[in-house]
Order: sequence, then structure tokens, then C-alpha cells
Amino acid sequence: MMKTFFKTIGNVFKKPVTTKYPFEKTFIPEDYRGLIGFDENLCIWCRRCEMVCPPGAIVFSQDMEGKQTYHFNRAVCIYCGECVRACPKEGAIFQTAEPAPCALKTENINNGWNKLYAEALQSREAYAAEKKKKAAEKAAADKLAAAKKEEENKSATDNQTGAV
Amino acid sequence: MAKQYEIPIGAQHISLLEPLHFKFTTENEKIVKTDANVYYVHRGIEQACCSKFKFRQVSFVVGRVCGLCSISHTTAYSQVAEKLVKIEVPKRAKYLRMLVIELDRIHSHLLCLSHVAENSGFEALFMKTMQYREFSMELLEAVCGNRIQYDFSIVGGVARDLKPQVAQSIIERLKKFVPQLDELMDIYKNNWTLSLKNKGAGAITKEDAMRLNVVGPFARAAGLAVDVRNETEDLLPWKEVGYEMITETSGDVYARNIVRLRELYVSIRIIENIINGLPETPLITETKAFPDGEATVRLEAPRGELFYYAKGNKTQVLERLKIKAPTFSNVAAMAEAFTGNEYGSVPAIIASYDPCLSCTAR
Repeated sequence: MMKTFFKTIGNVFKKPVTTKYPFEKTFIPEDYRGLIGFDENLCIWCRRCEMVCPPGAIVFSQDMEGKQTYHFNRAVCIYCGECVRACPKEGAIFQTAEPAPCALKTENINNGWNKLYAEALQSREAYAAEKKKKAAEKAAADKLAAAKKEEENKSATDNQTGAV
Repeated sequence: MAKQYEIPIGAQHISLLEPLHFKFTTENEKIVKTDANVYYVHRGIEQACCSKFKFRQVSFVVGRVCGLCSISHTTAYSQVAEKLVKIEVPKRAKYLRMLVIELDRIHSHLLCLSHVAENSGFEALFMKTMQYREFSMELLEAVCGNRIQYDFSIVGGVARDLKPQVAQSIIERLKKFVPQLDELMDIYKNNWTLSLKNKGAGAITKEDAMRLNVVGPFARAAGLAVDVRNETEDLLPWKEVGYEMITETSGDVYARNIVRLRELYVSIRIIENIINGLPETPLITETKAFPDGEATVRLEAPRGELFYYAKGNKTQVLERLKIKAPTFSNVAAMAEAFTGNEYGSVPAIIASYDPCLSCTAR
């Protein structure tokens, strides 16, 4: 009984176990799984990070010249680091120890992202279709040129044989 | 016959952590019959795993089945997928998986114990247990990079290596934790207030436990020696790192507390052994194969046996994934063990089952 009493009195003078969070820093380890960083200069644009990402937090859009742009949504990301492991070029995509800031309403992070995602896929399709079209045109032109050349060659040989 | 009353508890109740519904038929204060209803949190995870996600991404999806035993789910899935693509995991990866599973067991068991104390009306002990639990969360954060949702096991191995300074800090923190655990053991064993709600409450006999197919600490408290760690050796070498079976005989709330506390000593020993004898091998086996055929895996989660079944058809997406969580096996016995108890001790009994409904209903 007296033991409990003294223990209780002693507890009054003990430091609290909890930390006063906004004023004191909480425990964050060195290799905390934080925000995903991206280096445009190192990227080889293979889109492997987009392919492996489980929640689909990374997407690349593409303009008509073929230049790709990287988009990342920190509210969709689960910070698993799978993109970093899949990246063939070291340092192009990396994980920092910085915790992600909260998503704000003004950012429209859900609907805005879904729209962006769909548009990015569409832009890539449009570029692919354009490329295919151009390739087809080029192939047709090449074919035409080849046929012309052949004809010319043929006529040349005809002329030659005629001359002989 | 005395007049019978039906008293429901849940799906929303102050003593429940998760949506669970029990309907008790009582005579005066004694419970004579119980109906259980557990499916309130269906999320369709199995279907998502078989349609939307590729088989390498599924290990991150099944981690979200449960917040507490996240690592058990990811490891069990990784193992079943490794069986389907037919690869052998490096030994270091196996050891690191066991390390995180045991750290996770410490934090899960301490959470359960704290809730038993809280629901028995011992708020101060709840605070104390939660205070002592904090170290395990910080260690998990240091090892995996996150307090919950570890994403540690991936198909083929583990995602991160254990740094030497982190291993050192684990050993130091565990040394500090042992006297705290002794203190908790003393309180849970000898405290008179706690014994009023815990001793003899929610008891189940060994025969009933056997008949109703109980798993985990619930079964071991009744004297039934079931533990997957004792039975399988091929996937994770538990006996190599000093596993030992813990059983009690009385099968009540008190026995469950003691089983959980004694298992913590075993977990501490396993973690120390793993860190001291960590083999130097690569972390991951790479493969480009696609899953084919069928496979099953059993793994001891903190709550009992976790079972995974998967079927592949040589494509990126699995054909079928079945998850059987430990709480699902225990539901029948949960309803049975209430019979003959006072209605007032129901919250403590529910907490001592350590039910995980988000696992069960997925």
C-alpha cells in the first residue's frame, strides 16, 4: 500500500512519455520511406516505373514531338519503392526521407489526377497513332520511290539492250 | 426456466475495435447462447488481386488486408507466388522475413494485451502496455521504413537490407524491454483487480478447441499444441532460430494473456538469434517466369494460422487467390466460449480473442 503511494507521488515528478509533436521532433529513421524524387536529365524514358507501380501513382504523358513528361501523385503513392528497384538507370528515380505533405482540397488530387491519368494515356496513344501514320506514309513513299527507281533501272537496261 | 433476454453487442460498440456483431441470449446475467456475425467490412480484395493487379504487385495489395499482421500477409503471398514461379529464396531473405514477423508479433501481442486490460476496466495498465509497445513500432520503422504497412517481402526475396547500426539498436532496445516485460508479466499474473475479470472468464476446454478447429494463442491457451512454426520447416527455418512451443491449460482470458506474454520471450530470443547469425547471401532471386499451376502456403501470423491458395495460368494476372485468415477459424469457438459467463465480462473476452475482422472479411 505505501509502496503504491510513493510510486504515485514519484510519478508526478517524472517526465512525460509522450512527445509534444508540433514543437518537438518525433522519431524518423534515416532511411524512412518518403517522397519519390525524379531526375529528368538522367531518365531514359523506358516507363518501367510506371509499369511496376502498384497503385498507379506515376504516369508519363507525351506531346506530338515525342517528348515525355513525368507526373507523380503523392496522395496515391504507397511509398513502397518498387519504382526505384525497377529503374535500370541509377538515380533517375529515387526515394527521399522526407515525409509527404498533406493533400489539400484546392489541389483536386483525386478527380484531377484521374483526369490527368486518362489524358496522359490518350496523349501517348495519339502520338503512337501519329507515328504509325507517319511511318505508313513513309513506307508508302519509300515503296513508291523504290518502284520508280526499279522502273528507271528497268528502262535503263531496256535502253542498254536496245542500244546493243 | 428463467425469462430469457436477447442482448446485441455491435456492430458499433465502445468496447469493439472493429465491426463485429454478437447476439447474446441471456438468463438473468448468464449467457446461454450466442450468435456471431462477422462480415461487415467486405472490400473485395481477392477479386482485385485476380483482375486489376499483376502478380508482382499483389504482394503490396495483400499487405493492406490487415494493418497489424501486414508482414504475415505479404510474406505468405510472396511464398505462394514463389512456389508458382518455382524459385528458391536466398537464406538471408528468409531470416529477415522471420525477423520482421517476430517484431510484428511483439507489437501485435502487446496491443491485444493492452486492450484486454482496457476492456477489463484497468485503464492505467492499458496506458503502460501501450507505452512499452512503442519501441517495437520504432524498430519496425527503422527496419522497414514505415510504422505500419511494411511492404518488406516481395516476390523473390525482401525489399530492404538490415543495416548494422539498426541491428545494433534492435539488440539494445530488446535488452531494455526485457525488464519491462517482466514487470508486465508480474502485473498480468498477480494483479487482483485484473484477475476478477480474467480468471475463469471465456474458458474453452481442450476437446472443444480441438473440435472447433481453433488456431493461434486461443488454442495454445487451452492446451492444444498447434503452431505452424512447429510444423513446417521448408519455407522458413523456425526451429533453427530457437522456436519453442508455449501452452497453458486453463483456456480462459488469463491463460491467453500469459501465453501471449510468454511468446514475447520466445520472440525476443528468436530476434536475437537471427541478428547474431544472419547469413551473408544476396537478398533476392530474380526471375522472369510467370506463375503457373496451383500452390498453398501456411504461415503463423500473430493470431494463428494464415492460409494462402493461389492459381496461375502463365499470364501476369493470377487466376485465383484465396486468403483464409486466423480469425475466420476461430469464429465458431468465439461464439461457443461465451456460454456460461456473465454478460459483464463480455468486453474482456472479446478483446482476449484478438479478433481481426478486416482480415476475415477482406
